[in-house]
Amino acid sequence: MHEATIAKSILEIVSKQIARTPGALRALQVHVVAGQFRNVDRESLEFAFDSLKMFDQRTSGCELHLEMPSATALCKESQHAYHPCYQQAYCCPLCGSGIGKLISGEELDVVNVSLETVLHEEQKDHARVVR
Amino acid sequence: MHESSDEHMLERILNNNEDLAAHNREHFDAAGLLCINLMSAPGAGKTSLLERSLLDLSKHWQCSVIEGDMVGELDADRLRKLGVDVSQISTGKSCHLDAQMVARVVHSKALDKLDYLFIENVGNLVCPADFPLGEHKRVVLLSVTEGDDKPLKYPVIFHNCDVVLFTKCDLLPYVNFSVARATQYVQDLNPRAQCFAVSIVTGQGIDDWLNWLSSAYLQSQKNMPVSI
Ligand SMILES: Nc1nc2c(ncn2[C@@H]2O[C@H](COP(=O)(O)OP(=O)(O)OP(=O)(O)O)[C@@H](O)[C@H]2O)c(=O)[nH]1
Ligand SMILES: [Mg+2]
Ligand SMILES: [Zn+2]
Repeated sequence: MHEATIAKSILEIVSKQIARTPGALRALQVHVVAGQFRNVDRESLEFAFDSLKMFDQRTSGCELHLEMPSATALCKESQHAYHPCYQQAYCCPLCGSGIGKLISGEELDVVNVSLETVLHEEQKDHARVVR
Repeated sequence: MHESSDEHMLERILNNNEDLAAHNREHFDAAGLLCINLMSAPGAGKTSLLERSLLDLSKHWQCSVIEGDMVGELDADRLRKLGVDVSQISTGKSCHLDAQMVARVVHSKALDKLDYLFIENVGNLVCPADFPLGEHKRVVLLSVTEGDDKPLKYPVIFHNCDVVLFTKCDLLPYVNFSVARATQYVQDLNPRAQCFAVSIVTGQGIDDWLNWLSSAYLQSQKNMPVSI
C-alpha cells in the first residue's frame, strides 16, 4: 500500500506550488504521469489521494488526472522499439528477445498543477462593478 | 484566472526518498562498505540466507544487518544469536522500508569499520521496488514454492535488481518450478541480472552467491574514492 505515500508526495508538491505562486488560492487539478514500470495501482492511488486531499481546504477540490503510459523498450537482439507486456512475457513481438533497455515506463512525476488565483476573484469583482 | 505551471515535468514524486537514498549512499561510500538490499515475498528465505552467509563472511569481514519488519524482532534475534550486529526497524503499518527509516539507523551507527551492510527489507514483492534505500546492490529472492511465473507478475522488482536467487532448491523435486524458465523470464526483463539457484539445506549455490558477494565488494572498493 505505498499508494498512500505517493498520494502524500503528490499533495506536498501541489501545496508547494500553491505556496510559491503569488495569489494562488487553491488547486483545481494535478496532472500526474505514472509509468507502467512504477507499480502504481490506479484505484488505490485515486482513493488515497481523494482521502488525503480533504485535510487541506486548498487541495480539497483538487482533481487527480492520472496518466499511466505503457513502457517502451529496445529489445536485446535488434534494438526494436516495442511495448513490453505480460502477454508476451515482456519480449519483443518482432524477434522474441527480451528487454535490452527500458527507454520509458519508469516515470513518476507531477507534470502540471492548475491553480485558481486571486486574480480570478478580482476579475469577478471587477465584472460585477462594471455591470 | 486559472494558472497552470509549465507543461514540462514539474517535480518527481517520491523525490524525498530519492534524495535521502543518495544521502545514505554517501555515508556508505564514505565508510567504504558494500550495502545490499534483500527483497522477497514473505518467507522466501531472506533471514535464513543471511544466517548462512554471515556464518562464512563474519570470519573475515565486519558485517552488520538492518532488519526491516512490520512488527517484532524475531528475525533480528535469530541473527543476534550468531553474534551479528543487528539494528531493527519496525515499520509499523508500512509494507516496505524507506530511505528515511534507514537514514535514522545510519546516523546512529558507527559505519566506518564495516565491510558489508545487509538490509533485509519487509517481505513484499511490490512496494520495496519503488523505494531505493541507498544500497549498492539489489538482491531479490524467489523461493521455488512460489512458482516460476513470479517475474511475469512482479516485473518491476525483477527489472530493477542485480541478482535473483531461486531459493529452497532442495524442494525442486516436489514442486512444479523450472529454474531454466524462471531464469529466462528474469533475463528477458533485466539483461544485467545474475541468477543463482540456492538451498541452505543442501548448500547448493551458496558458494556462487558468496563469490558474487566478494566480487561485488572488490568492485565497490575500486569505485570508491581512495582515502589514505
Ligand atoms: N527447505 C528449505 N527451507 C528453507 C530454505 N531457506 C529457508 N527455508 C525455510 O523457509 C522458512 C522461511 O524462511 P525465512 O528465512 O524466515 O524467510 P524470510 O524471507 O526471512 O521471511 P520474512 O522475513 O518473514 O519475510 C523457514 O521455515 C526456513 O527454515 C531452504 O533453502 N530450503
Ligand atoms: Mg526474515
Ligand atoms: Zn526485437
